Amino acid sequence: MNELASDKEILLDCRKINKAYNGPQVLFDVDFSLKRGEIHSLVGENGAGKSTLVKIITGVIQRNDGEITYNGVAVPIAHSKQDAQKLGIAVIYQELSLIHGMTVAQNIFLTKEPMFAGLPIIDIKKMNRMAQEIIDRYGFQLRATDIIDTLSIAQRQTVEILKALNSKASLVIMDEPTSSLTSTESAQLFEIIYRLKADGISVLYISHRMEEVFHLSDRVTVLRDGYKVAVLEKDKISPQEIIRLMIGRTLTDNEEHHRMMKKETPFVLEVEGLSSAGKFYDICLRLREGEVLGLGGLVGAGRTELVRALFGIDPVDSGTVTFLGKPYTPSVTNAIANGIGLVPEERRLQGIMGLISIAGNIGIPNLDVTSRYGFVSGAKELELAGKAIDLMRVKPADADIPVGNLSGGNQQKVVVGKWLIRDLKLLIVDEPTVGIDIGAKEEMYQTIERLSSAGVSVIVVSSDLPELTRLSDRIIVLRKGRIIKEFAEGVITEEAVLRAASGLLEGGER
Amino acid sequence: MSTSALRRLILIGLLVAIGIALEFMNPAFGTLDNLTTLLQDAAQVGIVGVGFTMILITAGIDMSIGAVIAVTGMICVNFLSYTHLSPFVFIPIALAGGALIGMINGFFITRFKLPEFIVTLAMRGILAGLALIIAVKDEMGFVQNVFIQDERYLSFGGSVGPLYIVTIVFFLLAALVQFFLRRTKAGTNVYASGANPIAARLSGINVDKTIVGVYMFSGFCAALASVFLSARMMTAMPEFGIGSEMDVIAAVVIGGTPFTGGVGDVWGTVIGAIFLALIKNGILKLGISPYIQPIAIGLIIIVVVMLDVWYKGFAAKSARRTAIRKRSGGADTLAR
Repeated sequence: MNELASDKEILLDCRKINKAYNGPQVLFDVDFSLKRGEIHSLVGENGAGKSTLVKIITGVIQRNDGEITYNGVAVPIAHSKQDAQKLGIAVIYQELSLIHGMTVAQNIFLTKEPMFAGLPIIDIKKMNRMAQEIIDRYGFQLRATDIIDTLSIAQRQTVEILKALNSKASLVIMDEPTSSLTSTESAQLFEIIYRLKADGISVLYISHRMEEVFHLSDRVTVLRDGYKVAVLEKDKISPQEIIRLMIGRTLTDNEEHHRMMKKETPFVLEVEGLSSAGKFYDICLRLREGEVLGLGGLVGAGRTELVRALFGIDPVDSGTVTFLGKPYTPSVTNAIANGIGLVPEERRLQGIMGLISIAGNIGIPNLDVTSRYGFVSGAKELELAGKAIDLMRVKPADADIPVGNLSGGNQQKVVVGKWLIRDLKLLIVDEPTVGIDIGAKEEMYQTIERLSSAGVSVIVVSSDLPELTRLSDRIIVLRKGRIIKEFAEGVITEEAVLRAASGLLEGGER
Repeated sequence: MSTSALRRLILIGLLVAIGIALEFMNPAFGTLDNLTTLLQDAAQVGIVGVGFTMILITAGIDMSIGAVIAVTGMICVNFLSYTHLSPFVFIPIALAGGALIGMINGFFITRFKLPEFIVTLAMRGILAGLALIIAVKDEMGFVQNVFIQDERYLSFGGSVGPLYIVTIVFFLLAALVQFFLRRTKAGTNVYASGANPIAARLSGINVDKTIVGVYMFSGFCAALASVFLSARMMTAMPEFGIGSEMDVIAAVVIGGTPFTGGVGDVWGTVIGAIFLALIKNGILKLGISPYIQPIAIGLIIIVVVMLDVWYKGFAAKSARRTAIRKRSGGADTLAR
């Protein structure tokens, strides 16, 4: 393929794409081209126009004008999702689009089931056999008859990719595929991506995680505010450069952040021998005032379970907790009354009430402040909301807007903001920057740093290793529910945390 | 053995155990006559349950089924009273009427994205009123109790060998629908639409069409049950079937089809319907007040759902443990 003329190398070519949604224009004369068998990343802050461009390519929405050719054939403006699928464009969605309760084979062959000749009856045996052939051809560790529900997130993604391959995809679009994967699972996904590339399949990769973009991409297209800013070739790609182009300014990512800071302030939280069967065992940790403690480990290591127990959501079997020198029985009411706040892992499910306004969301955990004799004061609620909006720089700064209408980053700001207006002593954040853009991410980091210097202790749970090392004064790594390693001083590397989390400690111990 | 197979086995075991116990307490239970009646009762609920199972698989609900039974009864009685059409002509019309009602339900649910519960509950109210309006009246305007005399119509309440026609139709319908669900594309679409409508749409499935179809089938099933009911009772009244949703839901839930969508099958509903009929029959055969029936059914629903929830939690826990084991096993080799 490489020997052919350069225009034969191009699989997808978009020229001067314009798009406006009933008014504001979101794409301006965007050019985008993708070669056969290349891994091409599309990056940009939220609102830069990435998803709009992808939606146009996949036929979810129609462009206003501009030309698209795919495989040398002109794609009409009115091209639908079905048309895109027929062309060979497949999308691996951020929210996995598999059918639960069905087998791997059923999912791979959904709507394309092999039938008994001439009968409207599905040939299940043949379907399973064909599915297994595809799985084996790519060397995945899956059985065609496995039920989707029993698979890990990474395995499910594999099934999605197989589904795309089965529909003869020549372009696979991945939108934030690693957002719910652990580092190990991401590594597995990358291998799959390389395999696709080796098979001559193009991959359009969208991610907020710069290291991934940096490692994977053959080329990177950067969008900003609806304009194509740059296309970087492999040798020109560096995370700093991409970020600079994306946001139009340089973020300081100085090495100082990676140095553990030893604090000598008094202890705020003391946990002794905390255990919860099946989740975590014999957890002992102490947290100082103003200290940022990072909890590292793989998904399933018990980090989320531990912070949930500390906040009093799930019961514990044994152990004691002391908070501010006094014995503390974890319960949500107790936690809030003591000045502990939680920013939970799954924002949409646990953090926000999407239909309720910003003011309402902020008011709910602060009812003790906003209400009297059981009646809620709307004015008081608005006042608190205004304070939180200012503190967190929520955009738009309108307390009446339903939180569900905000961007992911701003939703997260509301979740944090509702705790900040209290007399906060300890803030627990669980995967605080999943699915939010790089600017909002940076603001989140600054908020945590600001809280820490104001004397608030913070526990950060994160699978994003650069994030963990950057934020934490001290890192504790959990593995299989137990504390396996503590990094308290010196410079901490991501590799060291990952090695501990994966059970590879110094000295070859597993 | 899969969890659903195990659940089914336990249910069948329980069914047999209760049957044997009843036989010991009252020998009249085990007579052929009683058992055929029991199966007739089961079929009466079960036919509606087959349609309802499909509705639940799509994560919907149909509260109008009881009222469809009432209206269909009134349609048939009108044909019998005012026309000389053969039942073999007007029964298909009545069944199409049931499907049409389902189509209207489905239309509002898919076209205007209205909640299934509200649409079908409103439909229930409308149909219950409609049944009274179209009921055959006497000169004074009171609802008349029509006694059905048409032999051909009444033959639907008859039996072939030891089984009532309704029982045979129920088993055939169940087998057919089970095959449809498991072995055809349209059946796969039903599961997919319930398990994850967005994913189904992205896979090119016409989810709306599937949903409309499922509600049509539910209406059809209810209408079919209505014909057998009036043939058995030799009359139809505008309140026939109203409130029977309770029994149908009980049968389907006992059978193991959850309300969450994407799962369930018809065999479970067959067993659930027989189980329900057995409990009702047992209460009668033990000489306990029949007023206990709805209380017993209510309690059974709660116990069954409680066991299901408990078991699901248990299964999820063990699945998580396996997943953690697998994952950390893989992690060792890939960390770098």
